[in-house]
Amino acid sequence: MKKLINRSVAVAASFALAAGALVAAAPAQANTVTIKVMTPNYTPLMPAYYADLNKRFEAANPGIKVEHENLEWSDLVVKARTLVATKSYPDILNHNAFAEYAAEGLLHKASDLFTDKALSDFATAFRDNSKYNGVEYAVPDLASSRMFFINKALFYGAGNTKIPTTWAEVTAASKKIKAKYGSRVYPLGIPLGQEEAQAEFQIWAGGNGGRYFDEKTSKWVINSAANVQTLNQLKAWTKAGYTQPNPASTNRTDVFRLFAQGKVAMLNASNFFPSDLKTIYKSKVDYGVAPFPTAKAGTKAITLGVQDYYMAFKKTGNQDAVSKWLNFLFEPKNYAAFLKATGGFIPATKSASTEVDSTLLPYIEQLDNAIFYPGTLGSWGPVNAKIQTQIGGGITKDAKTVLDAIQKAAVAAGVK
Amino acid sequence: MATATLSETKPKRTKKLKVSHTVSFLSALPWIGPALFLIILVVIWPVIILVRTSFTDISLAGSLLDFNGIQNYRDLIGNMDLYPVLRRTFFWVFGIVFFTIALSLPLAQLINQNFPGRRFVRWALIFPWAASVVMTSMIWSWILDAYSGELNLTLTQLGLITEPVDWIGNPSTSFLFLMWVAIFVSIPFTTFVLLAGLQSIPNDIVEAASVDGASSWQIYRKIKFPLLRNSLLIATIINLINVFNSFPIIWVMTKGGPGYDTDTTITFAYKLAFIEGNMGQSTSLGVLNFVLILIVVGFYLKATKATRTEV
Repeated sequence: MKKLINRSVAVAASFALAAGALVAAAPAQANTVTIKVMTPNYTPLMPAYYADLNKRFEAANPGIKVEHENLEWSDLVVKARTLVATKSYPDILNHNAFAEYAAEGLLHKASDLFTDKALSDFATAFRDNSKYNGVEYAVPDLASSRMFFINKALFYGAGNTKIPTTWAEVTAASKKIKAKYGSRVYPLGIPLGQEEAQAEFQIWAGGNGGRYFDEKTSKWVINSAANVQTLNQLKAWTKAGYTQPNPASTNRTDVFRLFAQGKVAMLNASNFFPSDLKTIYKSKVDYGVAPFPTAKAGTKAITLGVQDYYMAFKKTGNQDAVSKWLNFLFEPKNYAAFLKATGGFIPATKSASTEVDSTLLPYIEQLDNAIFYPGTLGSWGPVNAKIQTQIGGGITKDAKTVLDAIQKAAVAAGVK
Repeated sequence: MATATLSETKPKRTKKLKVSHTVSFLSALPWIGPALFLIILVVIWPVIILVRTSFTDISLAGSLLDFNGIQNYRDLIGNMDLYPVLRRTFFWVFGIVFFTIALSLPLAQLINQNFPGRRFVRWALIFPWAASVVMTSMIWSWILDAYSGELNLTLTQLGLITEPVDWIGNPSTSFLFLMWVAIFVSIPFTTFVLLAGLQSIPNDIVEAASVDGASSWQIYRKIKFPLLRNSLLIATIINLINVFNSFPIIWVMTKGGPGYDTDTTITFAYKLAFIEGNMGQSTSLGVLNFVLILIVVGFYLKATKATRTEV
């Protein structure tokens, strides 16, 4: 009997202890907010940058914990969509699209996270691109524009004298390169694989007056005559053997690697490509850059402007923490380090733009002639995905049929 | 007369059976209850949700907008991309299962023989089964890579090709390579099921046959193969289900691309939902997949019942 009493006392005591521990733990837990941050891996330097940033942030903000996830672009796109569809939102997301989430009412307004003064430091054009129905729901983190890159040794070695400015000149230059190097070199790199097909197509189509969306009439124009003609031109170059085999399954990183190995002579690439060549591919290729070729002589060269966004999802009690984290990131010192880690992008803030590297200047000038994606439409996300997976099919199938199918899906997705 | 007695006894018997069924079910409930509960929770409930979801309009963010009847099914049927995918799924499932069995039969025969190093061969055969399918698929996509893959390198060095061939980039060859990888990972399981079947064949029958002067081909054809029927059936059915539901190989190697050129209904459903944000069509395709699998399982039940009565 005594034994039994002893035991029940012990049990009671352990319950009391456990309860006490719970009570003691409860207030500490209430003070700690954990935020999930999801970002794309612009370069291999990003994980180290964020590890350092988060460490300093947590030290300066006790009570906020950061769970950070750095993903490759193609994984980020799928994961973000999966998380949102299953309602397990990240707190902060760095992505190339925001409007579909804003349309669902999932995002904090930028004005709820930043002071007016902080917001006014972002470049006005980029701020306008971050609006859904006239309200800012995201902030730009960086931007890029593109130029036409050539491998000087291959290009001039084949007897070319002038970087092409028209499609006809691209054809002529490709012919010479192919004649000189045979199957060792692909004159033209055209990546229409899922990773960036929408960009590759837009920059060629843009030189022919083609767009995905007409701002004036507010209509999708994916199967326009200009776009069909562009896709047929890309098809013709592929058929002639001027491109790498199977553009529809080649990703941007694949042709970047080929260019770095000296196997591709001409391609479209962004302002960060020079830094990638050096740090990621360890390439010694001597390259030249020029404005992008247009369909016919006399048309003004265009570029594709792309901006990415930081956005914060509305979750109970996370507003203060996500605001602090984002403001911490955009502190001049931290933002400068961010730009450095991302490797040669165009800054999104006015303050950081005053001290950019001189090699970036031509790309910034190009921004005046830039086409941007219709990123402020809530339906752009799914339409973009459709373009990415489908448009490359136009290389082997009928171009018009492929573009018609995408147009149909875009019209079904609507203009909202 | 005989029929009359039959019709007289029949109702009585079923009635008796019914009562004893209910009683035995109730008395068994405490034992099968937890399992039943689990089945309802993780099998039946998701199916109900899936079917219900397929009749709704769901936004990208997963919020329920409205019930919209059979609109999702109409959209799916009107989606012209579905039909090549269905055709391909058919080839995928039956092609892979056929070749897997065809290759596993001789392999099982081989590793059933006694020869030096047999243990090593058996281990090697288990390997693709033990390794994660994602890993295997990645290794194969590296082997088949157009520019730095081992296959192209070897072929170039042998002088068989002059410029790199993009095996998995070109839809006409890539699907065959995907099927090959699926066969590669299905062979171990199938072979070992067949091996187990071979080992269960009593030795004395085989001995008796050879004493009677049967050639080894005759022994295989007339004795071993018929006795393998059960394991063959199990291997086939399980492979049918596995291969139909197979997702990682296609996703890792081609993501179903270019376009939908290497998609099966499983990857297509995933793509519709999580790449294109088309939840409605995707859930209705999910239901279609479920029905297709039910048909396959129906075959399974019918087939196993057939063998049970025969043996």
